[in-house]
Parts: sequence; structure tokens; C-alpha cells
Amino acid sequence: MNNIKYYAFPSSVADAMNILLNRKYKALVMAGGTLVGKAIPATAETYLDIRNLPLKDIKVKGGKLVIGAAATFDDIDNSELCREWAGGILSQVASQCSSQLIRNMATIGGNIARPHSFNMFPVVLMCMGAEVMLETKNGKILVPYASLSQNKNLKPGENCIILEVLLPKKTKTQTFEFIKLAKTKSSWESYVTLCFSNEKKNPKFVVGALTPRPFCAVEAEKAFAKGAPAEEILQKFTAAIEAVKVTGYRAEAATNLLRRYLGAE
Amino acid sequence: MNKEEILQADEDGMFTITLSVNGELGQMIVSRNESLVEALRHYGWKGTKKGCDTGDCGSCTVLLNDKPVLGCMMPAVAANGGNITTIEGLGTVRNPHPIQEAFVEAGAVQCGYCIPGMILSTKALLDRNPEPTEAEIRKALDGNLCRCTGYVTQVQAVNIAARKMKALKKKQEKTAAKEAEKAARRVSRKAAKKNK
Repeated sequence: MNNIKYYAFPSSVADAMNILLNRKYKALVMAGGTLVGKAIPATAETYLDIRNLPLKDIKVKGGKLVIGAAATFDDIDNSELCREWAGGILSQVASQCSSQLIRNMATIGGNIARPHSFNMFPVVLMCMGAEVMLETKNGKILVPYASLSQNKNLKPGENCIILEVLLPKKTKTQTFEFIKLAKTKSSWESYVTLCFSNEKKNPKFVVGALTPRPFCAVEAEKAFAKGAPAEEILQKFTAAIEAVKVTGYRAEAATNLLRRYLGAE
Repeated sequence: MNKEEILQADEDGMFTITLSVNGELGQMIVSRNESLVEALRHYGWKGTKKGCDTGDCGSCTVLLNDKPVLGCMMPAVAANGGNITTIEGLGTVRNPHPIQEAFVEAGAVQCGYCIPGMILSTKALLDRNPEPTEAEIRKALDGNLCRCTGYVTQVQAVNIAARKMKALKKKQEKTAAKEAEKAARRVSRKAAKKNK
């Protein structure tokens, strides 16, 4: 049973921030509503619906790919820009999420604002070195996506609103590989999700679904950058997974997928 | 911010929303916990089915501003100001929509529980992409589960519907062109009379 007393439909970010920061409202930001719509916390008294905000655009600005936070998975799946950027990794990820009906509702902003181990965009955005533009009480700020969860003052949807996700210019021509291991192709509950970039100077091995938030296997990345043999990279990768206390088939699967990626079979 | 952009619950936790359902603009009084599918059914739009209630089966699919969404995952209040199309908005038993005809022709309906959702997903697909491939059809319908069939006949039904809608569009264009020609002739006849 929720305690919602108000439903707000702001048409500008300024209006949305006024409600969010007004203690009277105790507002909770909602976009697609597929993650929290069914489990609204009892502390929230205002459902702040941001679907009318002008945050759906997908464009290239200053060489960066800019995705509005309210762009749905379907928008990303069908965006020509996303299909071309980085070999279409973003469209590929969007199309693998759940069903078309969910993809029509779920937004990229919601996927990164609400931490859930099964969310797929966090894994890819971390791998691509994405940045996030936020509207806070002090104005707009740009933060690297990887550090967003570590900043305890920033709680997207509670004290700030995600406006845009920005992908660095250099990622346009980079190659990424996203792997989702799940019961079925469209199953939301993945056993493990991985995103790899084999850029020589700055490789990335990001692991998702094993912990509430994705993590980088840093030592394995360093070993890869040094040109270490595949077995050494795999050992470091396994150690990174053990460090987050994940064992069993999911840990094995993650290592095997990296082994396959490295061509060490 | 305009006052109408914030809705406040009454003492019983009820909200009054304004929305258009199948082209009829009206008001609904809904509770804060009521989902869109529950509200629609409560107000008589019972073609929209309630299934899993967790966003997995798609039987509650409705079109919100022409896009298929899950009625069970959306609070009714969140549909305030929207244009909803339910299966009743597409056709009737006497005058079915080409997609409905196609589903019957292909034998794609068994128990029928999932069909309203499937037809609405098909409508959205064909409006966006009049000639979809089989992969595109399967992708568009991947959120509408059917426990009776193996989806083969539904895919066939969408193909039949695509052909029907294309033929209908051609017919409508032909009729419109004929009407325009008639109107032009009328105007020129009038102008000739005036000149005389």
C-alpha cells in the first residue's frame, strides 16, 4: 500500500526540481515505472512523472553521443545514431532487454538511477566511460557514470534528476562486446552480464548481475594492457570475482565467457 | 507550474483523471493503487485482460498515445491526459478491423485471452512498419505471451493483416483521389457557368 497523495506531471525540468526539492511533497521521480512502479516506497507522497519532460532526444553534441534520460529502450533500439555508434552496442543492449512492451516504457535514466543487479545499461555505460548530466539543487553537474554510485550526496530520483547520458567521442569507432547469459534471450534476470573493450591502452572488463552494481576487473585489465598471457588475465579475472564473494556456476560462466572472448579456448 | 499539472488525492485517496479512451474524452475516478488495466475494466472496457499483473504476459496491453504499453505496470493516474486505445476501439463484431479479421482467418485465436494485447501490439507495429519481416513481427510481439499456440499462426495473421491494411490503404487513396477529381470537376463546372 503506497501513500501517494499527489501525482505531478511537470512539463519543464525547473518545475520538476521545484517539486522534488520541496519537502512538502516528498516526491519520487518516475519515468517508465517498470522497476519501481509496483513497489513505491511508503515514504513517497508524490509521484513525480517526468515523461512529459523534454529529455527524449538522442543527438551528437560536441562529438559526444547524448542520450536524453527519458529515451526509452525502444527509442535507443531504433535510433540510427545509436545503431551506428560503437558498432551499435547500445541498440543491441536495448533490444535484449525483456519484452517490447517493457522496452516501450523503460528508460535509460531509470535503468541507471535505480540500482539493480540485472540492469544492463550500467554495465555497458561503465565499459564505455559514460558521463551523466544531472540537475541538482545547485544547478547542472556532469559526473562520470562510474563514480555516480559512490557519491553519497547524489541520489538520482530523490534529490537530483538525470538529464542526459553522454558517451565520449572516442567510443564512436571503438568496438565493444556485450554478453548476457540468461535463461532465455529476453529474460530480464541474467545470470551474468559482461561488457568488454579490448582497446590496447585502456581495456575494460566490466561484470554485471553478480553484485548490485557492476564492477571492473581492474587487475585483469592491467594484465591485458601489459600483453600478459591469457591464463594470467583469466586468473586475475577470477580473483576479481572471488573478491566480491561470488562462487559457483555464475563465477565459472563469467570466466569462461572471458576465456572465449580472449580466444584462449 | 500550472495547478492542473498536480493532481491531489481526495480524503479517500481517490484521484479524478481526464483521459481519452477510444476517442471519447472523459473523466475517471481512480484510486492511487489502481493500475490502468483495473481502471479500464472497472469503467467497462473489459476487452483489456488482466493476466500476470507483473508485466510479463502482455494480456493487459493498451495503446497509450499510439504506443503499446502494459496496463498492469502503469498506475491509472499516470494515464492522465493520455489517449488510450483498447481493443474495443479497433473494431466491432459486425465491423471488425482488418487485423481482427486476419487473426480469425489465420486461426490464430484459441482461448483468446492474449489476443486483444496481440492485436494492439500488431496495430502499433503495422502503423510504424507496414511491411514487417518475420523477425520484426516476432520482436514486436515478444511481450505478448500465448499459452495455447506456438506463435506460428499469429505471425501468419500479422502478415495477412499487413496485406489487408495495404490493400485498404490503396482503396482509401483511390477513393480519395476520385473524390478530389469530382470536386475539381464541380469547381471547374461552376467556374464555366459563371463565365457564361
